[in-house]
Amino acid sequence: MTAPRGLGPARAAVFFLVLALLPELDLGHWLLNMLVFTLMFAVMSSAWNLLGGFAGYPSLGHVAFFGIGAYAVVLWFQHHAIHSGYEPFLILPLVGVGTAIVGLPIAAIAMRTRADVFAIVTITLVFVAQTLAFNLRGVTGGAQGASIAAAPFPSATFERPFYDVLLVLLAVAMGLTWAGMRSKVGLSLAAVRADEDKAAGVGVRVQAVKLLAFCVSVGLTAMVGGIWAYYQGFIYPQFAVDPLISVAIVLMTFLGGRATLWGPVIGAFILEMAQQYLAYSLGGSQFYLIAYALVFLVVMLLMPRGILPTIEDRLRRRRRRRLVDDSAPASPLTPDYVKGDSR
Amino acid sequence: MTALLEVANVSRSFGSVRALRDASLTVERNSITALVGPNGSGKTTLFNVITGYLPADSGHIRFDGHDVSAAKPAILYRRGLSRTFQQARVFAHLTVAENLVVASGFGWARLFGRRVGRRDRERVAELLDEFRLSHVADLYASELSYGQRKLLEFAAVLMSEPRLVMLDEPTAGVNPTMIETMERHIRQRHAQGITFLIVEHDMNFVMRLCDPVVVLDRGQEIFVGPPSGVRLNPAVLDAYLGA
Repeated sequence: MTAPRGLGPARAAVFFLVLALLPELDLGHWLLNMLVFTLMFAVMSSAWNLLGGFAGYPSLGHVAFFGIGAYAVVLWFQHHAIHSGYEPFLILPLVGVGTAIVGLPIAAIAMRTRADVFAIVTITLVFVAQTLAFNLRGVTGGAQGASIAAAPFPSATFERPFYDVLLVLLAVAMGLTWAGMRSKVGLSLAAVRADEDKAAGVGVRVQAVKLLAFCVSVGLTAMVGGIWAYYQGFIYPQFAVDPLISVAIVLMTFLGGRATLWGPVIGAFILEMAQQYLAYSLGGSQFYLIAYALVFLVVMLLMPRGILPTIEDRLRRRRRRRLVDDSAPASPLTPDYVKGDSR
Repeated sequence: MTALLEVANVSRSFGSVRALRDASLTVERNSITALVGPNGSGKTTLFNVITGYLPADSGHIRFDGHDVSAAKPAILYRRGLSRTFQQARVFAHLTVAENLVVASGFGWARLFGRRVGRRDRERVAELLDEFRLSHVADLYASELSYGQRKLLEFAAVLMSEPRLVMLDEPTAGVNPTMIETMERHIRQRHAQGITFLIVEHDMNFVMRLCDPVVVLDRGQEIFVGPPSGVRLNPAVLDAYLGA
């Protein structure tokens, strides 16, 4: 993992400006709905990347925290009236911080394991969360589900507030990632990912940065869960704690490139849009999943380290080749047409 | 004044194999102590136990007068005990400069500071200049030769201003020129007051550089003394040659 370089802030400004103006183009509901889901996955992939990418702890249990966030928002507003449509968005920071606090002891135990064992331990979280959601009927409504009052936004622009809030959340997630990469937290995480024992042996605060990455990661994921619940209006355990969500955010991050700022966002935009588009095109059958898998397989076969790292590697190699070519003195015996520049 | 490092009756087993049997070792301040012995004699296990990478089954370890028998590697590093590994372990996907910064033992206050700050750059530049690695400062450690990685690992542990540096086979797998370079750096740092404990198989290197020499065999020390005494000691000859 390296610190972000070059055109970072300018690129980000253009990206967010384009996304902020996109709904002004009078896009259809289905397209805005697709963008809302794409942004949800972009935030979650960025959040997952903090832990699975930078720290090297591949969690498969993030959807448990997505579910916690979803139920937190629904349950809160079952006991409190919604006075304004934006009110559920205002409690999102509370949901994020609360989930991060809940995640702290879980991380302290789960992160005693590493790599594939950690992945398996986190899968158990999904089943624990789903079982609780099904069985704590008095709280979650069990298999009957739980509902929140429908968002009182005009139907013509219903998706817009969700879209805007998710855009802000994506900016927060990417901002945190960017700040982390430029700080010694990012440096420490890179060391942990490369060789945790050695990192501990040179005084890196291994436990602290691991827990920090976990808590920030699950906190952001829970906030997306809260937005999703409000957007849906009605949630069921099998959807709020759906293991496929965990799988999707892992695939998106791998596709775009782990431990990069833009990789998870690129992955989310490609895979989520492909999935939504294919689902619309191929109808209600599950055939779209085959096409979705094909998109993933083709990209990963061509670029096994993910899109962004592969492109960066190629550019780096090309730059180095050019530097070597430029620094090599032309032999006096070299013909003029070889000495001449290639503009 | 007490010794800088005292290891007393340390034992460690792996299943039925007893790697260390009541091993004891003393490293005096500002010495360059060698730890030698045939393959499998327990040198690296002793290194791992001293530096907290492996817990001892029994025995005591004191560093600078404090009991550190159960201390973790990070704590020991911050107290001034650092080490290198038999196979150079550098962070391959960090640059050479970042490898040094990450080993500087920064505290909480600097954790949220810049990845490589101004103060870091100054220290890194000084050290890279000393180790003649300035020209590779921005390369990834994975792009260095094995000898350069060994040097980088050595330079990195110096970032924390240690009092005791433990080098595990610093000359293994490196060319003669690099061995001379390594020796020069050890001498320079020793002259500045750093104590060394070195595991090494190259006996010429040991004879030139170290005093005293501790010989370990089957998990126990069998000789402690000046380098001149090693070659003639019957127990050492027996351990090495099986005479």
